[in-house]
Amino acid sequence: MEEIVYVNAEGRRIDGRKLDELRPIKIIPSVLSRAEGSAYIEWGQNKALVGVFGPREAIPQHIQDPTKAIVNYVYRMATFSVPDRKSPKPGRREIEISKVSGEALAKAIFVERFPNTTIDIYVHIFDSNAGTRCAALTAASVALADAGIPMRDLVSACAVGRAAGHIMLDLCKEEEDATDAVDMPLAIMPRTKEVVLLQMDGIISKEEWKEAFELGLKGCQQVYEIQKKALKRKYEEIAEEEAKAIEHVDKQLKEISENPELLRGGNK
Amino acid sequence: MEGKLVIPGELVTDKRMRLGPHVFVENGKIYSDAVGLAKIDRGIARVVPLQGKYMPKAGDVVIGIVVSEEYSYYIIDINSFYYSFVPKEEIRIPLRKGTIVSAKIVKVDEINAATLSDIRVFRGGEVLTISPVKVPRVIGKNASMLNLLKRGTGCSLMVGMNGRIWAKGGNIELLKKALAKIERESHLSNLTLRIQKMLEKEKQHTRR
Amino acid sequence: MRDDILWELRSDKVKELIKVSQRLDGRGLFEYRPVQIETGFSKNAHGSCRIRLGETDVIVGVKMDIAEPYPDSPDEGSITVGAELMPMASPVFEPGPPDQNATELARVVDRCIRESKAIDFKKLSIVEGEKAWFVFIDIYIANDAGNLFDASSLAALGALLDTKIPKLEDDKIVKGEYSGKLELSKKPLLTTFAKINGKIVVDPATAEEKAMDARLSIGTTEEALMSAMQKGGTGSFTQAEIEQCIELAFQKSDELRKFFKVG
Repeated sequence: MEEIVYVNAEGRRIDGRKLDELRPIKIIPSVLSRAEGSAYIEWGQNKALVGVFGPREAIPQHIQDPTKAIVNYVYRMATFSVPDRKSPKPGRREIEISKVSGEALAKAIFVERFPNTTIDIYVHIFDSNAGTRCAALTAASVALADAGIPMRDLVSACAVGRAAGHIMLDLCKEEEDATDAVDMPLAIMPRTKEVVLLQMDGIISKEEWKEAFELGLKGCQQVYEIQKKALKRKYEEIAEEEAKAIEHVDKQLKEISENPELLRGGNK
Repeated sequence: MEGKLVIPGELVTDKRMRLGPHVFVENGKIYSDAVGLAKIDRGIARVVPLQGKYMPKAGDVVIGIVVSEEYSYYIIDINSFYYSFVPKEEIRIPLRKGTIVSAKIVKVDEINAATLSDIRVFRGGEVLTISPVKVPRVIGKNASMLNLLKRGTGCSLMVGMNGRIWAKGGNIELLKKALAKIERESHLSNLTLRIQKMLEKEKQHTRR
Repeated sequence: MRDDILWELRSDKVKELIKVSQRLDGRGLFEYRPVQIETGFSKNAHGSCRIRLGETDVIVGVKMDIAEPYPDSPDEGSITVGAELMPMASPVFEPGPPDQNATELARVVDRCIRESKAIDFKKLSIVEGEKAWFVFIDIYIANDAGNLFDASSLAALGALLDTKIPKLEDDKIVKGEYSGKLELSKKPLLTTFAKINGKIVVDPATAEEKAMDARLSIGTTEEALMSAMQKGGTGSFTQAEIEQCIELAFQKSDELRKFFKVG
């Protein structure tokens, strides 16, 4: 079998990227009308849609938590999203990813503000090439902000690892198949760099881990910048104008609270 | 920091001051919890969200829809995180599922559930929804925008602070178009003038 | 918050307007919402298509695989259609196995394509009695703004027309290589009607679905033949109404076929 050159003499990987380079990422919020918040993401070949509902009443009652909202993250892959058609039934991998991803977001959301409710986050993958859970979590974060659910920070995710002895960011599928591959999905809240998701597959030393982790942090920061742009893009042009409008609005709100008849149009 | 567009987790200010809506403190600094515009004035830091659900406030008048009738109370949907429950003994007229009401929020508890009073029933009409954040624009200074909409469409209207609008009679389709325009262009100047032009143009087009 | 209650109020409005032959969004009674098509949506799929019909958003992916033919048709392959109403598509969809609605949707889209004979099942045979191609068509509803039937049918057709047949070597699939496209001899499509207050409309949006007494979907081909019929809902249709729908189905589906270029 022909030997694959994972990193060539110029430091370029199979797809031409450098070791610390992410694949191209595109994020679009507000793409679904029935969901309260939503986002679409393309990350390399990965394609995913996320829809968010809530906080909404937790039903059945017995699952309610009187101290906080329950974060319910459901990650699923379409049958045709992988090379060999997958059964439509959720597999154990999807169930595990759902659990750890929900836990990651629960740290970022102000769940204590909404007792006895659930926040439902539904993610579906339509095309994949390694790193789907990070793409999904990244998009979910944007969808939550789109839904207006209060958060302490976004959650930015990125995978880091090793192939053919090189520590590299955002492994693609070919790289994940290398004999010495290590794959480490990582998610942080960017402001404090708190780690909210961490998994690892492969065998690695403490020193290599440190190198990989620090590279992963840089990757997550880059992802954060893309998420930020995606959320702000809609409003960028109008932000200045809207700021002026707000002063106007404040005066109106004061008027309304003093004279509720205004809601009917005041005196005709 | 004035009018700066922020996303959840972004810094609003590192100075100490009072907290308004949609901000939180961490290590002595104030951050936003939503996508919106950060505003600081009169010693209060806050964020005006550009999207999001209605957060109930005591004193607000809202438009609700009766979701169901239980044995001793009604369940009313006010477009927020929780339904409101109103004991039957507080209401003189019987309500049915789908009845549109206006109500005043008496108090909001620590989990954002609202207690309603002063329930009034609307006969007929329909409910339109806009983003709660845009409500002040729909009303306008001295209710100027609202009155313009009433004259221009011939509809009877009432706006709830929760983003719900009761409308009856008149040209509801035109009203919907005008509301959509207000939502899209709420940041631009001379909004009232542009809505006025739009309503006049429509009047010319439809010769009944 | 579930948005049921607002929809119920709107459906009163829908019924009022229909009396004077008007619709909530100003469309004509037999007018479709705008259609957007994106083919090749998923590279791992052998064929895929994303359709937006108004705000209804449906993604279909096709995968072809080799399996043993059914004993009663040893020289034929077949299609299998599955549908998932994803919970992101509506506040009332829940995660879990396909319910009645998802099952009905999948089976009606299946019949429309299968019975039309657009795909020659005999051409899918590889080794008689042993191996044949099975075409898996999986429908994912991303946003339910009404008329999932027609949107799914459009997306399924788009995905099939986009489908490449995996290359075979010694009757085994060679990953990543293809030999030609799946042949479709015609373009079967569903056209769905809603009966509201005695009037018939095409392409019902959500508020209209809430207000309707009954629904009729008709699968047609460009030869003015029908390959499927499905009545849904608790109301009823008269023979005259059904015949009216048949005529309209031929006409409207021909308009939609223009979106799919030949070859």
